[in-house]
Amino acid sequence: MTPSTLARLALAGSRTDTARVVLTACSGALATLAGLAALTVLAIPTPTCCDGLNYSQQYSNALLREPGLRGGTAFALLLLTIPVLALAGQCARLGAPARDRRLAALRLAGATPGQVTWLAVAETGLASLLGTLAGLATYLGGRQLLHRPDERGHLALPTDVLPPTGVTATVVLGLPLVAALISALLLRRVSTSPFGLTRVARRQRSPGPWSPLLVTLGLACFTAVRPILRWYTDHQREPPALLAPALVVCGGLAAMLGVVIGTGWLSYAVGSLLHRYARGPAALLAAARLMADPWAGSRTFAALLAALLLGAGAAGLRSWFHANDEVTRSSGGEPEASDNFYLDTMDLVDLAVAVAVVVAAGGLLVALVEGIAARRRAYAALVAAGVPRGTIGRSIAWQVLAPAVPAVALALTVGLLLARGLFRVPADDGVTVTPDVPVEQLAWIAAGALAAVLVTVGVGLLFLRTSTAVEELRAG
Amino acid sequence: MSTSHLLLGLLAAGNRHGYELKRAHDSRLPRARPLAFGQVYATLNRLARDGLVAAIGQEREAGPDRTAYALTARGRQELDQWLATVEPPAPYVASTLFAKVVVALLAADVDTARSYLVAQARAHTDRLRELTTVKTAPSVTLDDVVAADYAIAHLDADLRWLRTTLERVADWHREVRS
Amino acid sequence: MTDLQARGVVKAYGPTPALRGVTLDVAEGEIVAVTGPSGCGKSTLLHCLAGILRPDAGQVTWRGQRIDTWSEAARSKLRRTEFGVLFQFGQLVAELTAAENVALPLLLAGTGRREARTAALGWLERLDVADVADARPGEMSGGQQQRCALARALVTEPRVLFADEPTGALDTLAGEQVLTHLVRLARQQRTSVVLVTHEPRIAGYADREVMLRDGVVDATGLGLDLPIVGGGR
Repeated sequence: MTPSTLARLALAGSRTDTARVVLTACSGALATLAGLAALTVLAIPTPTCCDGLNYSQQYSNALLREPGLRGGTAFALLLLTIPVLALAGQCARLGAPARDRRLAALRLAGATPGQVTWLAVAETGLASLLGTLAGLATYLGGRQLLHRPDERGHLALPTDVLPPTGVTATVVLGLPLVAALISALLLRRVSTSPFGLTRVARRQRSPGPWSPLLVTLGLACFTAVRPILRWYTDHQREPPALLAPALVVCGGLAAMLGVVIGTGWLSYAVGSLLHRYARGPAALLAAARLMADPWAGSRTFAALLAALLLGAGAAGLRSWFHANDEVTRSSGGEPEASDNFYLDTMDLVDLAVAVAVVVAAGGLLVALVEGIAARRRAYAALVAAGVPRGTIGRSIAWQVLAPAVPAVALALTVGLLLARGLFRVPADDGVTVTPDVPVEQLAWIAAGALAAVLVTVGVGLLFLRTSTAVEELRAG
Repeated sequence: MSTSHLLLGLLAAGNRHGYELKRAHDSRLPRARPLAFGQVYATLNRLARDGLVAAIGQEREAGPDRTAYALTARGRQELDQWLATVEPPAPYVASTLFAKVVVALLAADVDTARSYLVAQARAHTDRLRELTTVKTAPSVTLDDVVAADYAIAHLDADLRWLRTTLERVADWHREVRS
Repeated sequence: MTDLQARGVVKAYGPTPALRGVTLDVAEGEIVAVTGPSGCGKSTLLHCLAGILRPDAGQVTWRGQRIDTWSEAARSKLRRTEFGVLFQFGQLVAELTAAENVALPLLLAGTGRREARTAALGWLERLDVADVADARPGEMSGGQQQRCALARALVTEPRVLFADEPTGALDTLAGEQVLTHLVRLARQQRTSVVLVTHEPRIAGYADREVMLRDGVVDATGLGLDLPIVGGGR
């Protein structure tokens, strides 16, 4: 296969394929931006002069000025890439049935499995490369535009440093490579069969007891951090440098996985409840789909739930700061100015959570449209049989919202509990202040997440009309 | 079609009189051309002469000849051999339908050939519909279904041929006349 | 009595004409086969008659009322209550069991869950697929799926059944079972049937055959008025 043939075949596709390429490129660009931002923060040189006062005085923001805080800042920026990468993963599935059919048709026409895989890999890789290059361009352009020292010569952003060229190149070229490898991995079943994928709706067992186990494990990790550190302090020893971060990362991952699995379980439970008690056909359709594939919900919500977990944790942390202030105040001290700094930082974290929710909603939209497209034949047949599109739309709304509400509640609860586990009730001189449950903030987060889901469903349903067109009934 | 082998097969199921054989034939092969009595007796006599069947007693009480016949060992052998022989699949393309279109093209013109094809296709379609009605009747037996299926499959094949030939008849006419 | 009528129906997909003025009557209880070569507009005619598509010109009337001018909602309701549709394949909802699929139209009409299930089971019984009532489409054979789809099309006791190549994806025997059931049940209920097919054998199940050619009804039924192809004299 000559490169020109490869390019021609990789680009032969419908509008959905174009949409997938554009979305893949966009998520590639976003991930590059977040990654380069994190690397830039890490690239800020720490002055070694000045008798221990090794602040980088050229910045107006303490997060950049103090070397001790820069690691955390970079870490937070990297966390932002998680929902972005989840979005990229879901984008790769957009229009996948059509692409699978096309690739299978190529196989029938005599293409080898390798050639077909190359096509898919070329498409994803090139799209991501375009995205990362666009991301790099945006980064470099943004650097120039935002390089505006204020009257005291301070910079708002580290626009005066660049990450090492090698590292930058690794990000720009590495991300497309990883994306291409992942798409090759996802396509290995299609490549082997000229008949394409046949999706048989299998009955899946309801998920096992893993969810509570994992959540408990996560909580245990978080709760254990303090006592373990205190044990080392009590015994006058230095704790291993990676112990606390490892506990936090592992605990966080376990809790997240637990919540995601728990959503599968919730989907199944909600599905069977609906199946038993729901009256209308819309709810019945939704219930059957939830029970047939309880994991669909958890897969599509994964990024959103991760963002919510972070958000609830941040809310818990904020209420802890407040309680801490109160303790300081009631024991006669003045709350330090730096505590306000912490609260300001929390605002930044909340902003990051909001961005993550929006990105995750994008992924949800992609998954939803994909689900509609995959079932378009059955939907078109229902419409032809006189089922109003509204009924199908309602069933899709049920199917997304019914598990979303309890899943959001679960994620927020677990997130808050994690924060509580890590940061104990502040006490000083016998005064203890139990941090409030930040009901208001949690409610805002939940409302924001559900609103994002609702908007997503609304937009997704716009695709229902084209997916139920009578052309879908034609043979083939 | 071999009437003698049919009778041998019917006798393999048990000894029978000539009259019973005729009745069994007509019910097992519905929609086949009915067997005449004379043909049954003539065939039985020939089979008895060749030692393939044997007469086993007579009852002359009620009416005409009531000789019952049984399959002999040689008869069984002959039957097995016949069953094991594959019929040559369409050795010659010979059909009145086919011949008529050729003759119409030779002796008349394209339109004559066409009118014949159209009329024949109509008759085929009517017969096909008739047999399908028989087949879908609620009280139908499997004998009827299998017999009708056989005829329907052939009519279907003829109809396809008629329709395709209708599309080709003009080209064909030029070839025949050149 | 003529139930369903098409008068000079014209329909084009972009610049490609699919129907160029088709007139057709379907009487109550009549089974009409619509045949013709691929691309002659058979399916498009069925979609126009069933009110799934709106013709560009011409009229479609159902019991004296023009339905081609009705809103999508009104036509949906008509399809749900008076019509039944059966396609080649892939019309069952993959996540619902056979019984639930069949019960769906009744549920849409507001029938209670238990009553709808009982009716669905009755229809599955009549179509000899009661044993797969609780199986999902993916767990059934093609013939069983198609018989469930037929049960779903008939469960509302429609006045007209539209079947578009209903046996196209099945082997001869399975296809025959579907058609035998279809014809028998349609005759019992005096349901009219519009049966689109390209096979003479399948058209044999109908009372009457209408042949389409290039978007118009071929009056001779067999292309007698064809222009002579290939330049012959």
